[in-house]
Parts: sequence; structure tokens; C-alpha cells
Amino acid sequence: MPDEIRTLLTLALVFAPLSLLSIGGGAALLAEIEHQSVSVHAWTTQREFADLFAISRAAPGPGTMLTTLVGWKVAGLAGALTATVALYLPSSLLVFGAARLWGRWRGSLWHSAVERGLAPIASGLILAGGIAVLRVSPGGPAVWVAAALSTVLILCRPSLHPLVLFFGGGVVFGLAEKLGLW
Amino acid sequence: MPRSKRIGLPALFAAFFRLGVMSFGGGTAGWLYREIVERRHWINDKEFLSSAALGRLVPGSGGVNLTVQVGQHLRGGAGATTAVLGLLSGPLAIVLALAVGYAKVGQSPSLHAVLDGVAAAAIGLTFATGLKLVQFKPASAGPLAITFATVVCVGVLRWPMIPVVLCLAPVSICIALLDRHGRNA
Repeated sequence: MPDEIRTLLTLALVFAPLSLLSIGGGAALLAEIEHQSVSVHAWTTQREFADLFAISRAAPGPGTMLTTLVGWKVAGLAGALTATVALYLPSSLLVFGAARLWGRWRGSLWHSAVERGLAPIASGLILAGGIAVLRVSPGGPAVWVAAALSTVLILCRPSLHPLVLFFGGGVVFGLAEKLGLW
Repeated sequence: MPRSKRIGLPALFAAFFRLGVMSFGGGTAGWLYREIVERRHWINDKEFLSSAALGRLVPGSGGVNLTVQVGQHLRGGAGATTAVLGLLSGPLAIVLALAVGYAKVGQSPSLHAVLDGVAAAAIGLTFATGLKLVQFKPASAGPLAITFATVVCVGVLRWPMIPVVLCLAPVSICIALLDRHGRNA
């Protein structure tokens, strides 16, 4: 098998199963994407992963485009498309099939137990994702402090547009670097 | 009756394309409500809420799952495919353009500093989202313990996510079932 095909196949085999376990959306996968990309497959360095994470968040779109960027880093455009399809197709097919059953189960004991049972796992996975990116971020304590500040800021001002916050973070860190403060 | 007229696939694609490039920070469901329910009246409030609930419950991005259901509701399988392609194509092109720019600029300390600043803000957004979901649950020890166990196993101990979720999900659903029995008794 040619190397490129094998790489694309690996991307699909890593991300497609995650698609079916991303309870709570793309952010819940952050920790696992980091683990697979940096530690298991060495698709990116820690530095590159932190950069790709920042780029994926600065772009619009639902969930995470981070897998798209990891695929792009590994195998160019074909890698980007493979990773994107692998991440979104299985869960989309599942919801397509589940939509019909959903109405019938509505209000049943099981329905509400599954809904309430998965919620704490979803929030836990999202928090774990934040920790995973902090861990690989080469920015050190400055990034930890800034992340804590921005967490508090968003919780206090939920109407703040994320782009304003991202822009602010980039400008502050960029200026600090230019001035030799960091 | 807004749904008496059939919505064309190009119109569906265009509406979701617009939605995709507008939804920054993952707020797709909010934008979808404004664009598809309030502005175009393609689906009603009840259909939106039910689809949003299912979209969050099953795995995958809540925004993409909601889009699949709206497309399916309006035009079946072709509609779902068209809506998702519309939603994802804009962001995909933008994120790849940014990545190509990043590769061209190369590894400079200033670029890394700026990206670290953006990442710090985005990590804050991630934490805030997770914390908000914890807060909105009724104060009960079981779900909190499950959240804590998930954070420790996946975030701190770095155990692989798949076995952790497969072990914790049944436990958590049982806790929810028992809790429900307890409250109804």
C-alpha cells in the first residue's frame, strides 16, 4: 500500500471512532485529539499543535476544525478532507437514523436518564480538553494565567463575542513579545 | 403554512453556508435559530428545540447534528447532505487558508506569541463552556463525582477517552435512573 494511502487510512481509523464518542460536541474530543496527534502518532509537535488549536478557534464554524488542520498537516488537502469526513460522517449518520426514533422515545424514563446521565461526562470531557491544550501549550505560566482570566471574563460577561476575546489575547501577547516582556 | 412551498437545495445550501461562516466560537445553534427559525420560518420553535436536544444528546458537534436534522426535515437525505456541506465548506476553506498562511509566515517568535494569546483566550472559552454545563445541573453529588472522575481520568491522568467514556457512561446513566426513582417516590 502506498504511504499516502496508508496515512489517510490511519487518519480515518483514528478519527471515525472518536466521532461516535464525542459526547458534548467537538470540544469534548480535544484531549483525545491532542493525545493521538502529539503522543501516539507524532503528527504534530507540541508547538504545532498549540498553533493549530489557536488557528482552528480563530476560524468560524461548528465544533472543532482542529482535526481538519491535523489532517492537513499530515497529508495536505486530502488529509484535511479525510479527517473532516471521518470526524463528521459517522455522528451525522447516527443522528440521521436517530431522528425518527427520538420522537417515539420522548418523555420515556430511559430517554431522560440517558440525557441526564451523559451531561456530567460531557462537561468533564470539555474541561479535560482545556487542560490537555494547556498542557501542550509552550507559552508556559503566562498562558495559564491568561486562560484563567479569560475563563472568568466569559463567565462574567457571556455576551462578549469570542472573536473580540481571541483578538485581545493575540494583541496582548504579541505586544508583550515585541516589548520584550515575555 | 411556511412549509407548503418546497425549499430548493441551492437555497438550503446558501442558508447553511451563511450560517457556517457566521458562527464563531461554536455558537452554531444560536445562529441557526436566528436564521432558520426566526428569519426564514423553515421550522418552528418546537421542532427546533426537539432537534437541538437530540443534537446535543447524540455524539458529534451539536451544530452539525442540528443541521443534519433540519436538512432531513426539509428535504430528506439530499437535504441533510446539502445542509451539512453548506455549513462546513465555508469554515473548511477559511481554516485551510489560515493554515496555509501560517505555514508561509513560518516559525517566528512574534507569530507564536500572538497564537499563544489566541489559544489562551480560546482555552478560557472552553473552560467557561464546561463550567457552565456543570453549574446548570441540580446540585447533586453523583453527577458532580462523574464530572470530576472524567476530568481526572482524561485530563489529568491522560487515560484514553474511549474506554473511560464506555465505563463511566453506564454508571452515570444508572445514577440518573436511580435519582429519578428517588425523586418520584
